[in-house]
Amino acid sequence: MTQWKKNEIEKAMDCPMTRRRFMKWLTAAGVATAMPCSFLRSQAASAAGIVYEGGYETFRNACPRNCYDSCGIVTYVKDGVAQFVEGAPESTFTNGGLCVKGHSYIRQQYSPDRIKYPMIQQGRGSGNWKRISWEEAMTRISEKLIEINEKDGSMLGLALTKYSGNFGITNYGVEGMFSSLGYTTRMVGTPCWPAGIDAQNYDMGNMWCNDPEDMVNARYIILWGVNPAWCSVHTMKYIYEAKKRGAKVLCIDPVLTQTAAKADEYWQTKTSEDGALALGMARHILDKGLVDQDWVANNSVGFNEFADYLRKEVTVEWAAEKSGVPADRITQVAEEFATNNPATIWIGYGMQRHVNGGASVRAIDALVAMTGNVGKVGGGARYGHLMTWGFNYHAMIQQTPKGAKGYLGPAAKGEFDFTKKADGPSYSNRTFNINKTARELLNATDPPVRALWVSCKNPLSQDFDRNKLVEAFKKMEMVVVVDQFFNQTVEQADIVLPVTTLFEEWTVNVGYWHYWLSINEQSVKPLHEAKSNIEIAAALSKKMNELKPGSCTFPTDTDTKEWMSKEFNKGIYDLFGLNSWEDLKKGMHKAKTNLLPWADGKFGTPSGKYEFKSDLCSKHGFNALPRYVEGRKPYDKLRLLTPHTKFGLHSQFINLDWMEDFNPQPYVYMNPGTARSRNIAEGDMVIVKNKTGKVTIAASLTDNVPMDAVLMYEAWFKNNDYNCQNLVDDTSADMGGYKAGAPGVAIHSQFADVVKA
Amino acid sequence: MNTYETPLILFTVLSQLSIGLVAMSTLRQIAGPDIEPNKLRMEWLVAGGVLLAGMIASIFHLGHPGGMVQAITNLGSAWLSREALGTGVFLALLVAGVIIMREKTSLGLIVVTALVGLLVIFSMGMTYSPPSFPAMNNVLPFVFFFITAMLLGASVGVLFSSDTTLPMVSRILTVSLIVGLVVYLIVPCIWLSGGEIMRQTGEQWLASPLYWGRIVIGLALPLAIIWTLKKTPGWLWVIILVGELLGRAVFFANTVHTATNMGGIY
Amino acid sequence: MTKQLGFFVDSERCIGCFTCAMACKNQYHQEKGVVWRKVYPLKEEIYPHKERAFYSLACNHCENPTCLNVCPVKAYYKREKDGLVVHEQEKCIGCGNCIRSCPYGAPQYNPVLKKAEKCSFCHQRIDDGRLPICVLSCPVDAIQMIDLAEVDTTGMVRFAPGFPKQPSLNPSVRFRLPKLPVVVRREDL
Repeated sequence: MTQWKKNEIEKAMDCPMTRRRFMKWLTAAGVATAMPCSFLRSQAASAAGIVYEGGYETFRNACPRNCYDSCGIVTYVKDGVAQFVEGAPESTFTNGGLCVKGHSYIRQQYSPDRIKYPMIQQGRGSGNWKRISWEEAMTRISEKLIEINEKDGSMLGLALTKYSGNFGITNYGVEGMFSSLGYTTRMVGTPCWPAGIDAQNYDMGNMWCNDPEDMVNARYIILWGVNPAWCSVHTMKYIYEAKKRGAKVLCIDPVLTQTAAKADEYWQTKTSEDGALALGMARHILDKGLVDQDWVANNSVGFNEFADYLRKEVTVEWAAEKSGVPADRITQVAEEFATNNPATIWIGYGMQRHVNGGASVRAIDALVAMTGNVGKVGGGARYGHLMTWGFNYHAMIQQTPKGAKGYLGPAAKGEFDFTKKADGPSYSNRTFNINKTARELLNATDPPVRALWVSCKNPLSQDFDRNKLVEAFKKMEMVVVVDQFFNQTVEQADIVLPVTTLFEEWTVNVGYWHYWLSINEQSVKPLHEAKSNIEIAAALSKKMNELKPGSCTFPTDTDTKEWMSKEFNKGIYDLFGLNSWEDLKKGMHKAKTNLLPWADGKFGTPSGKYEFKSDLCSKHGFNALPRYVEGRKPYDKLRLLTPHTKFGLHSQFINLDWMEDFNPQPYVYMNPGTARSRNIAEGDMVIVKNKTGKVTIAASLTDNVPMDAVLMYEAWFKNNDYNCQNLVDDTSADMGGYKAGAPGVAIHSQFADVVKA
Repeated sequence: MNTYETPLILFTVLSQLSIGLVAMSTLRQIAGPDIEPNKLRMEWLVAGGVLLAGMIASIFHLGHPGGMVQAITNLGSAWLSREALGTGVFLALLVAGVIIMREKTSLGLIVVTALVGLLVIFSMGMTYSPPSFPAMNNVLPFVFFFITAMLLGASVGVLFSSDTTLPMVSRILTVSLIVGLVVYLIVPCIWLSGGEIMRQTGEQWLASPLYWGRIVIGLALPLAIIWTLKKTPGWLWVIILVGELLGRAVFFANTVHTATNMGGIY
Repeated sequence: MTKQLGFFVDSERCIGCFTCAMACKNQYHQEKGVVWRKVYPLKEEIYPHKERAFYSLACNHCENPTCLNVCPVKAYYKREKDGLVVHEQEKCIGCGNCIRSCPYGAPQYNPVLKKAEKCSFCHQRIDDGRLPICVLSCPVDAIQMIDLAEVDTTGMVRFAPGFPKQPSLNPSVRFRLPKLPVVVRREDL
């Protein structure tokens, strides 16, 4: 809690004795409470709601939903029921509050829509759900898995798709469960940020951002294709503080976002032309002699070739034409950026969800490097980091059963996979690009994918080329989904298994932006028959071995607390200054080191320097220099943008009735000019369609959206089949195969047209 | 904010009918010679019955009808408490009048009752003019309620008038109809040039079929009938009552509340 | 002036994230549709970019509260020690007068209990030495608790555009208005 807030509380409390203590004293003294003192009035809780009463048990939880802010939570429990949550007060980052989603957690926990017990659906999509016992569920699944092994001689017919639905570290037990069954098919990669990860790896040898809390020291901040006012609300305070100290904040985005409204200057830019814009600025900085020659000479390789390229192929006028940003703004800001140190650029994930995303990130990295802003407090090309993720991954690492056969060939690794490949047979899992799930599931042969296990993911709400994915699901012989609500994937499942929420399991959480660590204690008993992913794995293992001894190596006795504690190691303890994980019960801890990347000039690249020219990048099929790469040619009249909304995290939260009070329905946002030419008025129902599919939705008119684009937020609304993924195909982003397992997906390189419904 | 508030429509219209009826009886008694005490008593019995019906209707408006007696607690600042008390006192006076005036009328009681009734209408006017309804945060609710009382009181009152006092009551009715027509046609138009909420109120009233229904059925038609027949029929109160109910519905449903435009220019 | 707690609505810092609104629901579990704290987007006539500036408003704990004045059963009282306007739901008979009369729409009807209810300024939390949950939870400190008797109101706006002006009620809320960025639009459009 900030000092300011502490003072305010002291001032508010002008009575030295709290009301609670006074009431207790009065009751003890047997005095009637009908006295004329205002704070003795009865405060009976209304039957329908609750009021703050004091006397709670508190627990520490951590939001595992994988946004930038990864908040620490204080959960207030009374009589075994979670009453309300607050943000962790001791973390300067969380600072006492969560977000609109985090504060709806109590409703997610006790929602009447929560799946209570294992269920089987008689006919996928029919809604004919029948309750079954865990015993029966495990039996059915085990019998299927055994059948797969018998048919194919391996477990490759069993596939897992899992990603960011729950990033509590112990949930890697799902991957562990799969390993413990044999060699299986895994969807690998990430739709999220892989192109940028690779780009930063080519340039610097790792994706490693400054401590976001040091942004207060920046003199110049460019927020490039990132919308922290919606997606990282806790970072906004550092941006505001920097502004207060005199920094200039520029926001670059195709859309006038909430962040743009809070910046000093906003550039509306042409989608996917960010590389050109960055290169134009670089050219001008070069021309004006504003390059940090010392830093470049001491810490980088390839700058001369980069400068040559700029002089030959990049001009400010060219950049202005490509991006739509006026040349005089480009030159002015370039000079400001180069002369106000430390300067920093926050590169957003939306910006790299393009066919040229990785290339654009490399260009922006170069801008930061050539001005000497890499390795400085308050500087840096900020994207993300994984420096606090050095857990044991005890849950993830399991032995394959004896005699298991698998895929003969290289397997890709996802960006969160820190395991080292064990010595042993050359079998591995079969890996598919998670961003092409529909096509991979449909086309897989030898063997085909027979059973699909879905956990911590909602592919039918989130994955691309949705119509094709529906077809792919039809091909599955069995679909098992582990989830909390009857969402669009569960609707197409055979068996659904109810999983625990963050309040109902022990785990540990870190983030990829800030440097804080949080324990997640079990605050309440699991509701109904919910089990954690670890317990599900244990139950499956037990049943598998009952039916076919030796078919699964996953331990059958589990305790999520024990498994959580096994994730800690000396590395984590040293990094966070902990004696034991129990220290975390008192609150979040911040990493003591690793907060200032590249300050020592020792980069993780082959040359050990910042590589303006990366031979590795060239070897992987891209340009060695951060050259301009064209965006995707439009295949329809308008650009289609499907970014994230502040009201939900992918398909979570928006379905809750508490959230419906604030965000009752989806809209497509379009420019009034675009609407007028199509005879569309505010609120009209319209059809957005393209070669991939269509969406019927109400229109909201605003010039926040440019005339050549339409915008919809990805979301799952309860009892509403709205899904913007109907319109998004699975075209790959350029990079991602190096460090993230598979190329990313060009989510924003999509196009569509709109007609009145 | 905008609901039809049926209990309140019934309560206000019926209680204003009752008060208007008593007011007419008072004016007739003063102007004289009026009907015999027996018939006056009958008139007051009707007034009492109508008022009671209205009061019962109003109870349905409460979330907790059992608490209605407590509604007079805040006489210090709440016009609603004063209205509740006043209505109770008025009803008591009516009952007293019905009991006492068997043989002989008491002018004193009659005048006091009428004055109390007038105060009740004033309290109602104050109750329904909070700052949250800019179009009504003024004397208009009192004016509307007073017109209702006059219209209904006079049109029902003709049934209880003597030959001598009938012309006076008819005259009061005709004047009230004309005043009502003028007021209800002009006021929404004035609202159109007010602030945003007032303007929206004017627009909603003028767009409402119920509003025009009341103008035609409740005001224009009765005037036309009186003009054509050259007298006030005893059944005219029926269409005037219909008009008043329609008009009161508009009053509750189409008067715009400031909270509906937060974030917009007030 | 006696102590009067109120809210400072800093619309310049506010990002319209609705954290405050949901934190309140999280603390009190109101019925669906009953929202004590609302985050109102400023209409384009006041802030030209749609849904990009907001006023987070709940109850303004007025100096001269209409709700308290018009309540027939005296179910409202104003705390002497800090000026908070508290609704005692046990006394409420659900007449709806406060709901109709408050220009800010602060009291709302609870259809389950059939009574009114409104923002309580988290007075139970205040009495226990804590901040109102909306103030605590705001990630950018855009909603702050102030004491109107003590706070320096220099530069604070009393009746912001889009907020009904009722000087006779004297709502205990002050504003900072949102600034506009320099907007550079595409030249090719």
